[in-house]
Amino acid sequence: MQIDNSREWHWLKGGLLTSLLSVATYFVFSAIAERHYPFGVTAGFGYIAAAFARFFDGLRDNPVIQRFGTKPDALIEFFLVIGLIIGGFTAAKLSKTWSPEWLPATWVKYHGKSSTRRVAVVILGSILLGYGAAMSGGCTTGNILQGWAHLSLGSIVAGASFFAGGIITARLLYPRTGGDHAAH
Amino acid sequence: MLLIKILFGLITGFLFGYILTRTGVTKYPRVMGMLLLKDFKILKFMLTAVISSMILFYLLGDAGLLTLSLKTLDWGKLVGGLIFGVGMGLLGYCPGTLAARIGEGKRESIIALFGMAFGIFIYAWTIKPVKSALLTGEITGDISVLLGINHWFIIIPAAVLFAGIIWLANKHVSDDRVNF
Repeated sequence: MQIDNSREWHWLKGGLLTSLLSVATYFVFSAIAERHYPFGVTAGFGYIAAAFARFFDGLRDNPVIQRFGTKPDALIEFFLVIGLIIGGFTAAKLSKTWSPEWLPATWVKYHGKSSTRRVAVVILGSILLGYGAAMSGGCTTGNILQGWAHLSLGSIVAGASFFAGGIITARLLYPRTGGDHAAH
Repeated sequence: MLLIKILFGLITGFLFGYILTRTGVTKYPRVMGMLLLKDFKILKFMLTAVISSMILFYLLGDAGLLTLSLKTLDWGKLVGGLIFGVGMGLLGYCPGTLAARIGEGKRESIIALFGMAFGIFIYAWTIKPVKSALLTGEITGDISVLLGINHWFIIIPAAVLFAGIIWLANKHVSDDRVNF
């Protein structure tokens, strides 16, 4: 799979800018969200789940729904998710890499053009992603980019588990490529 | 006040999404390549961000300018983390990159957005048994609390370790192609 790396930013640039964004916004969010917290993405999806839960009487007093439905950080993160979509769009347009795509080309190469199969995997994968993020208190952003930087005990375990679960799943999904150690 | 929250959420998300897409870490072959140990651009990006923000957070914390926020350690971190990892392996991206991908025109990620929210909804349904089984016996703190030493004795070795991983990955694997 050829990737045109010359059209992308260097990892060092992206990584340093991300860290500056983390630290700068930490002060802002601590001031406006009524608690100290490193920015994450999960609560933004939780905000959508909480909005959906309004239609279910049994979930009115649910602590998870309460947390995502009423805390200011969930509202902020909901708009952060919207901002991510706009940011991704702008970056792709400005670098002229925006292209509509249904299924990832790499997936098609190994698993065929059947969209039913891919959509089933996407639905299952994203439900597990949401469930796991809610249980482990954050996603890659909250637990690794932020939690590891804080040396947070819980995040170190969560982040390591992300990799463990991901590596095993990737090997099962791509068995023919996972085994060899070819680097170049 | 509500407007400020909305605005800062939008601005932060915009900048973060711009960085993610522009650096190419939202790409399916890069994420799967990392999990298959074949492409390390995302790992290098991530560890760079961690080293840099770790040092900045703790310098500012020691200077009394900010209060660190630490997540609690319980069994949910391990079990939830593994479930999240399986989800990430199936999808080929994570929640933040999922949102940026929607902006890039990757249409299947729209399904994933609702799937992710639905996953949290299911979590809310199951919170009672999960809480009693997994979310007990909590420890809160940074890793130096557990080891009982000054945090700089962890920060510096951690930064050296991560920098070593970045150096090794960068030396052996090119970012120009994902080999599968």
